[in-house]
This record gives sequence, C-alpha cells and structure tokens, in this order.
Amino acid sequence: MKKRLGSSALLILICAIMIFTAACSSSNNGGNTNGSGSEADSGNGAGGEREEITIDVFSMLANYAGEQPGWFAKLVKDKFNIKLNIIASNLAGGQQKIATMMASGDMGDLVVFGSNGKDYQDAIKAGLLLDWTKDDLLNKHGQGLLENAPEAIEANKKQFGGGTAVYGIGFDVGTGEGPSEGATMTYGPNLRWDLYQKLGSPEIKTLNDYLPVLKQMKELEPKSESGRPTYGISLWSDWDGNYMTLAKVVAQFYGYNEGDGLNPAGLILTHQNKDEWQGVLDEDGHYLEGLKFYYDANQMGLLDPDSLTQKFSDVSSKFQDGQILFSHFPWVDNVYNTPERTAQGKGLALVPFSEEKITSYGQSPYGGNRVWAIGAKAKDPARIMEFVNWLYTPEGVMESNYGPKGLAWDIDENGKPFVTEFGWKALPANAEPVPAEYGGGTFKDGTNQINNTTLKLTNIHPETGEPYDYNIWNSTLTHNPDPVTKSWREAMGVMTAKEYFVKNEMIEVSKPFFTTETPATPSAQMQQMTTGIGKIIKEYSWKMIYAKNEAEYDQLKEEMISKAKGLGYDEVVQYEVELAEKTVFPNR
Amino acid sequence: MSVNHTSSKQMIKPQARNRIRPKDKYTLFLMALPFLALAFVFSYLPLYGWIYAFYDYRPGIPLSKSEFMGFDWFTSMVSNEVQRQEVMRVLRNTFAISTLNILTSVLPVVFAVFLAELRSAKFKKLVQTLTTLPNFISWVLVYSFAFMLFSVNNGFINHFLMDLGWISEPLNVLASDDHTWLSMTLWSVWKGLGWGAIMYIAAIMSIDQEIYEAARVDGAGRFRLMWHVTIPGIMPTFFVLLLLSIGNFINNGMEQFYVFQNAMNMHNIEVLDLYVYNIGMTNSNFGFATAVSLLKSLVSLFLLFVANSMSKVIRGESIF
Repeated sequence: MKKRLGSSALLILICAIMIFTAACSSSNNGGNTNGSGSEADSGNGAGGEREEITIDVFSMLANYAGEQPGWFAKLVKDKFNIKLNIIASNLAGGQQKIATMMASGDMGDLVVFGSNGKDYQDAIKAGLLLDWTKDDLLNKHGQGLLENAPEAIEANKKQFGGGTAVYGIGFDVGTGEGPSEGATMTYGPNLRWDLYQKLGSPEIKTLNDYLPVLKQMKELEPKSESGRPTYGISLWSDWDGNYMTLAKVVAQFYGYNEGDGLNPAGLILTHQNKDEWQGVLDEDGHYLEGLKFYYDANQMGLLDPDSLTQKFSDVSSKFQDGQILFSHFPWVDNVYNTPERTAQGKGLALVPFSEEKITSYGQSPYGGNRVWAIGAKAKDPARIMEFVNWLYTPEGVMESNYGPKGLAWDIDENGKPFVTEFGWKALPANAEPVPAEYGGGTFKDGTNQINNTTLKLTNIHPETGEPYDYNIWNSTLTHNPDPVTKSWREAMGVMTAKEYFVKNEMIEVSKPFFTTETPATPSAQMQQMTTGIGKIIKEYSWKMIYAKNEAEYDQLKEEMISKAKGLGYDEVVQYEVELAEKTVFPNR
Repeated sequence: MSVNHTSSKQMIKPQARNRIRPKDKYTLFLMALPFLALAFVFSYLPLYGWIYAFYDYRPGIPLSKSEFMGFDWFTSMVSNEVQRQEVMRVLRNTFAISTLNILTSVLPVVFAVFLAELRSAKFKKLVQTLTTLPNFISWVLVYSFAFMLFSVNNGFINHFLMDLGWISEPLNVLASDDHTWLSMTLWSVWKGLGWGAIMYIAAIMSIDQEIYEAARVDGAGRFRLMWHVTIPGIMPTFFVLLLLSIGNFINNGMEQFYVFQNAMNMHNIEVLDLYVYNIGMTNSNFGFATAVSLLKSLVSLFLLFVANSMSKVIRGESIF
C-alpha cells in the first residue's frame, strides 16, 4: 500500500515536472524550427514550383485575424505560393498584445507597425527586425522598392538604421506636389445634402453658422426612417487619446494637425505648413473652440445625448438609419449613402464653411509613419521581401487594392483604366459574391486585410497615366453620377471635394520634410505625465460640452486648466514645442 | 477554522500513540511535493517580477539593458500637490466602493437563508439558476446590456417610463455622476448575488437536520429556526469570507469600472486598479504598474493580518 502510494506520488511529481519543463522549452523549440527554415531558401530562385509557406503577418492596423480569405489570398497564393496568417493586435489585446509579441522575441514574419515611434524603435533595439541589407536581400529581391520608393528606403536607413541598415519602409509613398487625397478629403464637414438644398443652401461662413442650419434641418426631418429622433451632431468617445478626438477635428478644419508630423502627438497642435503651434488648452486655440461648438450645439438641443456613452459602432448605425445630419468625416457617410437612398436624392455631402482651411496631407517621397518590416526570425526572408516588393510596384498597388485585373477593373483599348460592371457593385468593399476562379467568397471579405498601404493611391500609374485611385479615373468621374452627386457638382461647380478646396484655396497642405532625426520617444515619466494630464482634459472636455450654462462651462474650463497645469501641462507643451522647433520646423 | 483549543487537545493523543515513522515522512512529503511545487511556481516565483518596479522596462529589451529607476515609480504617485489630490481621490473611491461591498456582503447570506426556506424545489432551482447566471456574463456584455436599458436614444427604461408618462425628459443614467458608488455596488450585487449565495447554501445543507427537529420540538417557528439555527450555522463561513474580503479591501478589480467609466462619472468611479490601468498600462508602463501592485500586495497582507488577529480577539476564531 505504502509503496503504491509512494510510486503514485512519484508519478504525479514526474508529470508535474514534465509539464513545467515542456512549458519552458517550447520557446526554444520555436527558435530551432525557425533556424532550420532558412534551408528552404536554396530551393527558391527558380520561381514557379516553390514550396507553399504560411507566413505570420503581425499587423497593428489589421481589423481581421486569421488566414487571409478570398481574392487577395488567391492572388498571393498564385504569385508567391504564400498563405497569409494575420495577427491583429487591434482585435485582441491592443497595446498589451504588442508588448507580449515583443517580449516573446518573435514578432512574426511580416510586421506592420502603426507608427514609427516607440514600438518600432524598441523592436529595432531589441533585434526583433531583419536588416534588409543583410545578405543583399534588398538588392536581390527588392528592385521594385528601390525603383518606386528609393527616397523612402533612404530615409528609413538614415532615421532608424544608423545610415547603414534598413529595417523597414514607410507607407503612402508619394511623388509630386499638392494634396495627396483622392476625390474626398479626410475631413468634412458634410451635411444631409437634400435637407440643406431644401432650406435654400443658406450661406455658412463660420463654424457656428452650422448650428442654426442644423436646427432647421432637424425641424424638417425630426424623425429618422425607423422613427427615431434625429440629431444635428453625434459624438463618440472611444477614439479619445490625450484629449477629445472630435474636438481636435475642429482644429483640422483650420489647417492644424495633431503633433508635429514627426514626433508622437501629445498636447500640441501644429500648422500643416507654417511654423505655428498651439497647445490644446490655449484660450483662443481651436481645441477649446471645438468644445464651445459642441457646447452650443447641446444648448440648442442638437447634440445626441448618448454621445458620451456610445461607441463609434453605435454612431455608425445611427448614421445608417439617418439619425445624424452632420458628419465630421466623409468616410463615415458610406453607410448612409447607399445606392437606394442616393437614387432618391438623399445623401450626405460636403458643405464647407467659408473660413475653412482644411488640413491636407501632402505627398511625401519619404513615406508616412506606418511601417512595413520583416521579423528577425522570419521563416523565409527572401520570399517575404519579394512579396513586399510586389506591393510597392504599380501592378501590386492596383491588384492588392482593387483585385486582379479583369474582375473589378480593367484597361480599355486606349490603355485607360475603367471600373467593370462587377466593380460598380463590389468597390470599394461591398459584400458582392466573387466568382470561384478569382477566389470565391465576397469581395468585402477578400480585400487585403493587412490594412496598410504602400504607394500613395493618388500617384500616377506610369502605364495608364491616371492615378491608382479608381475614384478619380476619368472614366469614373464621368460614369453616371447619382442624383446627390449630380446636384452637388452643379451647386459647387466642381467635380470632387478636393477640387473644391484647391480651387477656392481653402486648403493647407503639409510639405514633405526630411530629417535624419528619429521620432522622439518621450521618457516613461514624460509619458505618464502626459497621460495623467490627458485624463483630466478628456474628463473636463466632456463635462464642459454637457455643462448646464455658460457659468458652469467657464468654471469647468478654469478647473481643467488649473488642474492640467498643476500636473505639468506647461512642461509637456514646452518639451513638445522644443522638439518641433528642433526637428520639424527647420526641415520643411 | 474550527475552534483551536479543542482541536489541539484531540490532536495530541493520536500523535503520541501513533508517531509517524521516518519512511512515511518521505512518502507524505513526496505526496505534498507537487502541490508545494505548484505553489512555489505560481505564487512565489512571480514575486521575482517585482524587480520590474525599479526599472524602465520596455518589452523585448532585456532588463540588463533597461534604465534603472530606483524608487521613482513609487514617488511619482505623490510627486506634487495635484498628483497627491488625484491619488487621494482614487483611494477614496476605492475605500468607498470596498466598504459598500463589505456592507452588502450580508445580502447573499440573507438570500441563501430565505432561499433555503422555499418549499417548492422546482421554484428554488429556478430562482437559484436565474440569480447565478449573471455571474457568468462578462462585464463588457453587462455594459452593453446596461446601454440597451438606459440609453437616451433608444433605451428600454426611458421608453417605458415615457410611455407611462412618469417622466417627460429621458434620463441619462449612464452619463451621470449621481450615486456612482451606490450604482456600481448595485451592479455588482446583481451580478454576484446568486454566486455568492452558493457557499452559504452549501453551509446550510450541512447543518444537522436533528437540530432543526429539536428546535421545532421546543416550539420554534420558522423565523426562530432561521435565527437560532440557520444563521449560527453559517456564521463561520460568513466570517471567513469577510476576512478574505477585508484582505482584498484595496483590490476591487477594474473590469466593471473600466466598462462603466466615462467623463461624467470618472471623478467617482476611478478606483486604484482602474487608475493604474489608465495611467500605466495604456502606455505599457509596466514599471509603474508593478510598483503600485507591489504596494497593494503589502497593504493587502497587512490588512489580512489585522483582520485575522481582530477576529482571534473578538470571536476566538481565525483563518490561520
């Protein structure tokens, strides 16, 4: 009996030890398989019959996790015999997921960074990213990159690689001058065009002029299609960072932008092309102007009372139902502007105010701050390099965005691109079934789920002489516009929103600038201080919007400013301004 | 847990008669070893992580290359006047909500006692299932449920009350700072009532039926039975749980407060765990988060010892 007890205890012990050791050694095993994976390289070069590999794509921008489905999967499989397994930190864990991946020492095969700030720089420091100059990878497999984005490669080398190594490449690489947006800009404001027309298109000079117009619009249409109340403006708080994001958007109607374009955004806004800045709490600054605008809207009964507690998805479904008459961003309109509604003449469209100077992002040959990189432990770096290289070629840009040639788009006999019948139903990302020969599924599910861009879509395709963006192809602009677009074009005298802003000089385009300085990574104390201040600013901003009267509004404002200053607001602003003056202003 | 002096008397006799032989000692030790190993690996080994409280740790970069911070993270919480006020506010919320939680911890007891009195077994099962269910709903879902109930635009409650004509303006319950502590406590009571009662129901089951019969013979009515038999029967369980919850006074979790927080109620809802999340974790500031949790562990340990010795003095019972 005792012996049996003893032996069973031993058995349990052995089991326990095995479990622990297995858990501990698994990471080592991972390392070994990665090491041996490089043997597959030798068999490459020949092209054609290459072994199928599945690569882990860790994208901090993706909103889809799992194996890439549909037409994009088929494209990549046919061209490279690669399957993409997408890991999306947005969907699970956020910043913590990123920290876990970094702490594990393996960030996957293809890595997409949401910014070139702390995470990217720490990953380089920790040796988690592959140097593209190693084994001459870039020259052997990255000719497209060197041809189409040479300055972006050079910039990355100087900023992050100490002048010798290349650890990645920025997104949205563009050439030429002027705004880089397509047909529409990033910001609005857009109004319900049909109601605005019915009111006789009253003139809107200042931001505050929207409010009486919205009030009249609300009276015209007090209920949405499903019988719910309509609101002039609806806000959401889940995009807030160190301040209320939608109040900051007001600054973006005036040519200001968050941060300085290089260093991480904190508590200052800088002008797109003048060397001017303002702190978010400046008395006459645009952030406080934004808060006042929403406060006034609330006083007039135009603000959605759920603004504080709802999430963006709630607001999106309110848009879909037609409950909201004002939109900050043109791209949130899609859910309302369905073909059925626009056919009836209903839709949201740009109605700018005459003082507006919209913030526009210029072309930058050095690329933006979202980075494509390859993991240091990548299974087969050469083939991943080839894949990234393809994404940076004209063919790759067209196909990764709009699908294989012949499906949603094609080239006519004059060499000009046009959207096919299928394309009109499917683009930009509709749930239109895709024929099996192109990968099956729906067009929407099959879109490139990595969710980072390469060359700027407004660049000119060298072969067609037209931009990559199908929205501004000649054939698209002349293609049978819906009644809303038609009436808008007639009223505004232009074809697109961008054209309107450019024509009326209501636009502030950022200039590309080059610096060998890396984006600053503020010390942990500085970051903690900024977050602490940001928390106060967010809390009070929302309270101010919902203040009962002017006196309460002013009192909350005073409290916010004095508390923020007590926590070191001035110190943070000074730090950020010094950075901007040192690294950004002299270089543009 | 049982009363100390009686049990020790009982223990002495068998020990004296039946001394453990050296061979058995090893067997017993071997049998306990896996559990000791588990406790060591999962409870003591992680204490090594406290070292991160003294560094500016960034994931991926080994500790040897990280900047040494000394006690900076500990002092940063009280570095200036406004910061001190912030910490005081957070602690006030933490203590208030914990106190309310401890006060409401009698509710599961009451609930269990009355549930045990139900005659119909079917109905009892139904009630127990329905009240236990919310415990398995995550706080995120609870919030979306709350949003459906209370949203101004389309909330069920607002519709209902307005249809009845009781209110003319929709209420905005979620975006208000009225009675935040109380409403948070009510949410957690709603979620935890049935689950918290399970232990007491088990304790009631184990009360000897003969005691009830004897009491009945003595002429005790239903409420007398509850008061004199059931309640004393589950008191030891209640006190153990109470001691543990006093030890947990400073940790009231963050999920609930995280999902319910917004600018309006932030002032009163931000408890210590949430504060650390908002300030530290959103920035991946693991050093600061570790420093706070280190302090919290020490405070919890202290509180548990205090509560335990109080219990020893007052009730003559303790958990260790």
